[in-house]
Amino acid sequence: MEVIQQLIGRLHPVVVHLPIGFIITGLLLQWYDRKEKQLTNIIALVFLWGFIAAIIACISGYCLYLGEGYAFDTVALHLWSGVFTALFSLLMFLRLKEVFEKNFLKRLPIVMLSFSLLFLISITGHLGGNITHGSDYLTEPLPQNIKSFLGIRVETYEMPVLQEDNWEEAFLYEDVVQPILNNKCVSCHNPKKDKGELQLDGENGILTGGENGAVLKPNDPDNSSLYTRLVLPLDHEDHMPPKDKTQLTKEEIKIIKTWIANNNNFDKKIGELGLQRELFAAFFPKTNKSLYPKARVAEASKDSIVALKNKGLHIEPISMDNNFLKVSCTNSPLFGDEDIKSLAPVIKQTVYLDLGDTKITDDVFEVISQFPNLTVLKLDNTDITGKGIEKLKGLEHLTILNLTDTGFKEEYLSVLSSVKQLKTIYLYNTPLAETNVDKIIEGTHYNFGNYKLPIMATDTIVY
Amino acid sequence: MNNIDRLIKEKIERELQANTRRHFIKNCVTGMGGLALGSFFMSCNSFGSKNGNGKIALTERDVNPLASLAPPFPAKVKSVIYLHMAGAPSQLEMFDYKPALQKLDGQLTPQSMLEGKKFAFIRGTPKLLGPQAEFKQEGESGNWVSNFLPHFSKVVDEVAFLKAVNTDQFNHGPAQLFMQTGSPRLGRPSIGSWVTYGLGSENQNLPGFVVLTSGGKTPDAGKSVWGSGFLPSVYQGVQCRSKGDPVLYIEDPKGISRDLKKNTIDAINKINKEEFNKYSDPEILARINQYEMAYRMQTAVPEIMNINNEPEHIKEMYGVQPGKESFANNCLLARKLVEDGVRFVQLYDWGWDSHGTDHGTAVDLGLRNKCTEIDRPMSALLLDLKQRGLLDETLVVWGGEFGRTPMQENREGQEMAYKGRDHHGDAFTMWMAGGGIKKGASHGVTDEIGYSALEGKVSVHDVHATILHLLGFNHEQFTFDFQGRPFRLTDVEGHVINEILA
Repeated sequence: MEVIQQLIGRLHPVVVHLPIGFIITGLLLQWYDRKEKQLTNIIALVFLWGFIAAIIACISGYCLYLGEGYAFDTVALHLWSGVFTALFSLLMFLRLKEVFEKNFLKRLPIVMLSFSLLFLISITGHLGGNITHGSDYLTEPLPQNIKSFLGIRVETYEMPVLQEDNWEEAFLYEDVVQPILNNKCVSCHNPKKDKGELQLDGENGILTGGENGAVLKPNDPDNSSLYTRLVLPLDHEDHMPPKDKTQLTKEEIKIIKTWIANNNNFDKKIGELGLQRELFAAFFPKTNKSLYPKARVAEASKDSIVALKNKGLHIEPISMDNNFLKVSCTNSPLFGDEDIKSLAPVIKQTVYLDLGDTKITDDVFEVISQFPNLTVLKLDNTDITGKGIEKLKGLEHLTILNLTDTGFKEEYLSVLSSVKQLKTIYLYNTPLAETNVDKIIEGTHYNFGNYKLPIMATDTIVY
Repeated sequence: MNNIDRLIKEKIERELQANTRRHFIKNCVTGMGGLALGSFFMSCNSFGSKNGNGKIALTERDVNPLASLAPPFPAKVKSVIYLHMAGAPSQLEMFDYKPALQKLDGQLTPQSMLEGKKFAFIRGTPKLLGPQAEFKQEGESGNWVSNFLPHFSKVVDEVAFLKAVNTDQFNHGPAQLFMQTGSPRLGRPSIGSWVTYGLGSENQNLPGFVVLTSGGKTPDAGKSVWGSGFLPSVYQGVQCRSKGDPVLYIEDPKGISRDLKKNTIDAINKINKEEFNKYSDPEILARINQYEMAYRMQTAVPEIMNINNEPEHIKEMYGVQPGKESFANNCLLARKLVEDGVRFVQLYDWGWDSHGTDHGTAVDLGLRNKCTEIDRPMSALLLDLKQRGLLDETLVVWGGEFGRTPMQENREGQEMAYKGRDHHGDAFTMWMAGGGIKKGASHGVTDEIGYSALEGKVSVHDVHATILHLLGFNHEQFTFDFQGRPFRLTDVEGHVINEILA
């Protein structure tokens, strides 16, 4: 049964065009026939069909409403105007046919009925369109200035953004709180559509409150409904924003709470209020934390990747949406200086190169220096001593270099320090590791490892 | 016509009557369906794609189910080491410092705290039990660590704490299943299985998902905690042992030499290849591959499972006991495995069920010994990964299946000789360290006695979502179709815990 109901419901978008067609045809015929009055019978018939089609559209529309789970509020106006369209179509038919002698219908002017029908069919159609496409569908393509001229609210969904260097200078209310309210509350609480008689678009509205009185109690967020309603369970009747609307994030709720707790001050700066940066962490612009270069490269040829895989190399894109490649010799311990030349077809794409535990020697630097996007280079557990490592200078993206368990010599350390772009260098188990401890020089982290966990008396105590 | 003939005739007529036109049409339809269905199967693909030489195009995964795949999004880590303390360690003696509980020690628990709560063993009104350890703020982060973990307090700045993890299970089996598979009931794949299914394995000589156990027993929930559930069984965890054969039956039988073994496998594979040329069933290729991998594993696994070749200072740092089954050995092995490209290493250490029924399960005695057992190895693991540049690309997760009550256990309403705590899942501590984790962070706050979460409550699903996030997955999009719907590790829940991400 439910299936049939749903099916009928989904026919609604098709069926609705029938009454529109019939009624408009009827109205046009009336206009055409306004003088001769020869076609009254035919016009009446058209409105009868208009009525029948409208009834079918109403039934299918009701099924759609039941099946798709619309809130009654959303569809109410459309539903009732649809029903009235059907009724008026019937009235028109009865009026034109003069079925009943001497009845009140005769007193109704046909012109009034015609205009009512024109109005009803337009408004029903428009409301229906709003339900399926959204209420701003029609006006959306209009230029901004025409929109504001017509009085259509221009919604600006801009997340509050703070900058690292001047966040303390930003105003708590103006730069953070009000933008949050604008994004999440003002679409229902504005001067045009003040649900619950509450307006949250500015200082006055917020301080005035709504039909239940003030929404703010200075310094007492737990008794301010502007805050408490945000933290009610989502299913609670009084929870705001309503369940089907975009909710405030945890961070935003915290900001509202903090603002109220600070005397809901409207003109102090964040710095003046002495608030912690942590509170606003979510509002700083997201930095690109990816290790790998931002630039994009062309995809490496599939055939060359397959050929390399068949040689036993592990080779994969760093992610499905990226053409950069990760190449590893985990499965090919015999990989040597000559073999690295076979990577020529993927030289641009390779960002992660693991040559650990292979037969490579210092000669490898010559070839490695030709990988323009190389970011992570692992040379651990090899016979590398560091000779020729200055060739890596040209690799502008090189960030991590792993030389663990190699014969890396002290004398090349100064050369290495000239490879400025490096962030981390692992040098554990090299001849240097014995005499050095971890240090950071000019932003480069030298990790010598050799960590110890000294013996403690408690290690051997058994309780 | 005799009676027999008449009977047979009648039977045939009955059959014909029963087999109406309707049946005929119905049968026809089934036949058509069968034809259509056939085309869905790759092996008898009559309409699908073929490559140039008339063979069916195979993906790498058809041939080798463990072939590695790129993650959907750039990953922060490529491997995971998950340290599961089976039995549920007491957060109140290790990380969650509650001085107020000390003051309330010995007092009866208020009724309001007990209403509507279910406990495994506590009956009637238990007494509150103060922390049995001393706490200090450690490292630059100033996070609290107890004196049960003196080594760990030196590396505390490397980890991010989750102080208010919540589970709805309070018995070991279901809670362990929940923690490892996302459901307290059997049948769902474990985290490691999901991860190896999604990413495969880099090292083609080793399993992608290795399980190591210590503490004398395997988890209460059995091997299902590393099972593959509805995923193909090739993605289940492979249990390796640090004592005896690393994998059961890995040695060749007596009298079978390596060469003979190789010849045998070659012969079997040759027959299988012929079979494949005839039927083009990718399952045959997968089988050939499995034979070869098993052969390679026979040398690779014993080699990697041998910790004797590690230098002395490393063995000392972990506190290993070669030849024995120990958490320290397993930690060192975990590092070796991750170093060699194993995707997911799962450690279980049994013996954390501190009920206070005897010396071994007392929170001030047995628990302290358990802490000593893991303190050095897990701290060494973090440091060793760090000095080798592996901590950047590995995620280390530590936790139990739930936490323990701030009340002293009173089994059957009786006062007990040793101090113990009952199972409690409302708020317990876990930590994570490694790539993408905010070092020194602490997320979540429990109430004054550590009974329930005040802030930053996270669920088991949230932990899973975070692990998958760091490996480059959106946990809401990583699905497997089973029983008519797509399944996720986090099913219909889970939010990435951004507070502990760098």
